Amino acid sequence: MNLFVALVVAVLFGTGATQLLKHDLFRVVVGLMLISNAASLTVIASGLRRGQAPIQPLVSGEPVSDPLTQAMTLTALIIGFAVTALLLAMVYRVYTTHRSVDLDDLSRRERSAEEELERGTAVEQVERGDAEADREAAGTPR
Amino acid sequence: MSLLLAPLMVLWPAAAVAALADGRRRPVGWAAVGVLAAVVALLAALAARVATGGPVEVVAGGWPADVGIRLRADALGALLALVSAAVVLAALVHGMVSRRSTRLFPALMLFLTVGLTGLFLTGDVFSFYVFFELAMISAYALAASGREGRMVGSALIFAVVNLLGSFLFLIATAALYRATGTLEMLAVADRARDIDPNTAAVIAVLYFVAFGVKLGLFPFHFWLPSVYGSAPPAVAAVLAGALANIGAYGLLRFQAGLLPRELALAAGILVGIGTVTIIYGAVQAIGRRDAREVLAYSAIGHAGYVLVALGVGGRVALSAAALFTVVNALNKALLFLAVDLRGPLVSAAFAVGAFSVAGVPPFAGFFGKAALFDAGVQASSVLTVLLLFVGGALTFVYLFQIYQHRYWRPAQDHHRAPRGTRVVVAVLAGVVLAVGLWPEPLIALSDQAGDAVARMVP
Repeated sequence: MNLFVALVVAVLFGTGATQLLKHDLFRVVVGLMLISNAASLTVIASGLRRGQAPIQPLVSGEPVSDPLTQAMTLTALIIGFAVTALLLAMVYRVYTTHRSVDLDDLSRRERSAEEELERGTAVEQVERGDAEADREAAGTPR
Repeated sequence: MSLLLAPLMVLWPAAAVAALADGRRRPVGWAAVGVLAAVVALLAALAARVATGGPVEVVAGGWPADVGIRLRADALGALLALVSAAVVLAALVHGMVSRRSTRLFPALMLFLTVGLTGLFLTGDVFSFYVFFELAMISAYALAASGREGRMVGSALIFAVVNLLGSFLFLIATAALYRATGTLEMLAVADRARDIDPNTAAVIAVLYFVAFGVKLGLFPFHFWLPSVYGSAPPAVAAVLAGALANIGAYGLLRFQAGLLPRELALAAGILVGIGTVTIIYGAVQAIGRRDAREVLAYSAIGHAGYVLVALGVGGRVALSAAALFTVVNALNKALLFLAVDLRGPLVSAAFAVGAFSVAGVPPFAGFFGKAALFDAGVQASSVLTVLLLFVGGALTFVYLFQIYQHRYWRPAQDHHRAPRGTRVVVAVLAGVVLAVGLWPEPLIALSDQAGDAVARMVP
């Protein structure tokens, strides 16, 4: 059982780490979710005892599984959920400003913005123009 | 209500209420400032109590001692909680008076303080993780919440890298629980001597990576410059002056406190990484033109001193690490708040910060470096002493490069920052100077902090 859980955790963590290295920000978030679940699974597997669910009434004479790791896992899952929501919101914010979630694209844009800055063009104006163009393209009044 | 619970009981409802209110309205922001000032006062009272009467303990919720979660303030926790809350207070006032407050800015700062206060004052490994995540999540949101969309990209990298560190911490905690059967820090420290050396080594390495990411040590630093460089000054000050304390505290508490045997085993490696961090940070800082980036690399470099002190080991070195962390937090908060402003008052404040970082008396930084020097001499570690001199000299070079570029040239932009921000910076500089002129309380507390960490393992 321990070996099985360890294998599952290893596969989850490995897949997560691979996704984390991709250029697509959504894949990065997915990778982090997988790693968070690998961590939760590790916590629940670290329980000291296995047996019936630790909820009253208990069947006497049978071993009771460790309630502490289950409480910890529950907390870790909730934290993971909140973090995922936050990350997705941030990715969405990146998308609304840059119209892209590809890291290569983003750094290219950043570089060109810096070049504009060095050349002395008023970047604010350019950006404002971009935003207006985007708004027209999307056709949504804000 | 006990003095230990009071800061959390005040902060928590205040943060929840602030989250519902509109932080751009001035009364909301100033109410948050008032709450935070009260919390700083409570934490100062707590630190004074700990300094005179020893550690304070409370078992939350009135549970029996071995069942409930224990809150425990020793000198190290009380000291760092006080300094972190004070830095957040300065940054919040700075953010309010410079009118860069966003809707959630005061609430996020309060939540961040809840997390920081909780994690410094808890005696339980898992509730440390919960408070730690609370502080980190607030920090991610703060870093992303500026008006410019450009910042979100670097905030996202910051969040992803640090979350990876947090999950490694969680895995290490699960392993520690499995190995020792408890989450209570004192009991863990007691039982950690008997666990299998291989398991202990893996746990220690995981904790080291988790806190190294937080602190921005050399191989894990890559997320740091872009976030510190692009965040608004108030947020950058909080990241460098309050959040980085988590890393130093974690290294002291978890490595030196819980797993000292593994720490001693890796002493050479730690000193090596610390040395590389110091040199790398300083050299990179000299090579940068943008003032914020210089300060970011300076923050990386100064994190290395804590690691070197841990590697040197012993009670004196641990006290020195605690003292240096406190002083460094104040310095970095001052410099990040001052760097975007102009004017004679600010340039004087910046000079105070720069002298303090370089370790010149009578500023607070001198005592941080002097304590490290003392630790190096006592352990007869030539490398530590040499590093202090070289690091100090390099610090001088890059900080006065900024000073020269910023304050000895006519200002190009004519917009002046509100007077309030300059007053905040001047007050912070006054604190740095005051600590330097009257360092006895700080030195006494950090001595006790070193004792508290060293005594966790009898």
